[in-house]
Amino acid sequence: MSSEPVGPKREAALSAAFVRLADTLVADYDVIEFLSGLVGDCVTLFAVDTAGVLLDDGSGAPRVVASSTEDTRLVELFEVQVAEGPCLDCLRSRAPVTVAELDDAYDRWPRFSPGALAAGFHAVHAVPLRLRNQTVGALNLFTATSGELPTADLHAAQALADVAAIGILQERAIRSQVTVTTQLQGALQSRIVIEQAKGVLADRGNLDMTEAFSSLRQHARRTNQRLSDLAASIAARTTSPEVVLGTPIRRDDETKR
Amino acid sequence: MDDLRGFETSLTSLVLDAGPEAPRRIVELCLERLPLTGAGITVMSAADHQQPLWASDAVAARIDELQFRLAEGPCVEAFTMRRSVIVADITDTHETRWPMFAAAARETPARAMVVLPLQAGSVRVGILDFYRDQPGVLDPAELAAAQRAADAAFWSLLGLRRGHVLDEHGAPTHGDSADPHGWLAGAPLEHAEVYQATGMIISQLDVSADTALARLRAHAFLHDRPIGEVAHEVVARRLRFSGQEDR
Repeated sequence: MSSEPVGPKREAALSAAFVRLADTLVADYDVIEFLSGLVGDCVTLFAVDTAGVLLDDGSGAPRVVASSTEDTRLVELFEVQVAEGPCLDCLRSRAPVTVAELDDAYDRWPRFSPGALAAGFHAVHAVPLRLRNQTVGALNLFTATSGELPTADLHAAQALADVAAIGILQERAIRSQVTVTTQLQGALQSRIVIEQAKGVLADRGNLDMTEAFSSLRQHARRTNQRLSDLAASIAARTTSPEVVLGTPIRRDDETKR
Repeated sequence: MDDLRGFETSLTSLVLDAGPEAPRRIVELCLERLPLTGAGITVMSAADHQQPLWASDAVAARIDELQFRLAEGPCVEAFTMRRSVIVADITDTHETRWPMFAAAARETPARAMVVLPLQAGSVRVGILDFYRDQPGVLDPAELAAAQRAADAAFWSLLGLRRGHVLDEHGAPTHGDSADPHGWLAGAPLEHAEVYQATGMIISQLDVSADTALARLRAHAFLHDRPIGEVAHEVVARRLRFSGQEDR
């Protein structure tokens, strides 16, 4: 179980998270890096063990764009939600979805529930990423123990999700549906390029995907590059993986599970 | 577009069964089902390196030819920026993104344009551009359908471009399932492992991302296995590409 901060400490941590996210949005930022920070904040701040952001570019099939874990088995849990799960229900209802005990949700999600239980989760929550009257995705929160998420956490999670929606739809004035769709596609394509770069680094450095992502992220920060730009450069073989792998890998990006 | 799932099923069977004809058939299906007048497919490897593959009519061909000659326009932008480009009305004087192209395009019957990059991350094979003889944009469901068609065109072109024409290996056997390989309707695009495996093959063979993805796809097709399953083997390091495995 997680050991999230409580009381005044928690207030401070939550404020710090919002300040950091707001800071990110001012500068020229990378949407995947921004969302990776946000899902990391979720597992630190709330009584949850894994968090992920899924986006729907209008196809009705949500896809993962950021996850607090790179563990393949857990990422697959997010991916299964193309067909069913709390995220898809959240997108359709445009309202938060909470299941306090997954044992009771076999009928509701015949594929997702057994998968989530097998991965060690007993409760799942999803809050919508909203922009005006539109829902563009969902923030997923999974916990190892059964039970409702405290109301204060749910409200804070919704606030984070609202910030996430703003961050994804980068343009200051979203004028039309067309712009929203292309922004969402852009975020999803960036994620694909990052997966490709992780593969290159994993193969060359004999790393698992978590380590590969950590090394990618650390190198981007150290060299002051956007995560997606560095990833594209590695996938295009313009940046040698050895340059990125040359520095020791700290697994500080790995969250609680 | 009120039956997106049915449309996806049609796309899937075209990619599986139509072989080299698949890209053209996919676009023709779009022209039947969506409020669009004509379309063209251009294979591209760089913004200034392109080859028109097919156009549904002379207007579509003219639009493609114009922008590659002028080196500007929605197709060039879609490829370079890696995202869809929508033009509601090319004759709108507020349309100042591509002045030379807009001036030339006003002489054609085309009014609205929808241009979709054929891509998956850093793997780009070209662009699919539609035009309409009336101004206006597609609604979200129509745009989603066009996007699914672009995904389908991407997978069929990826196979063709590497010379792994589907028919060469014989059409894979598939029973009642509409999409036994999970190729399509965006399905492979949902699996992170397909892209992680692509990256590993880039490293193993020292090839470009598009070649790596094409090799992964060819291997799956040759062995009649879902691409996600082959990708999993690669990521789990049970399958390594050495350049020999699918020859």
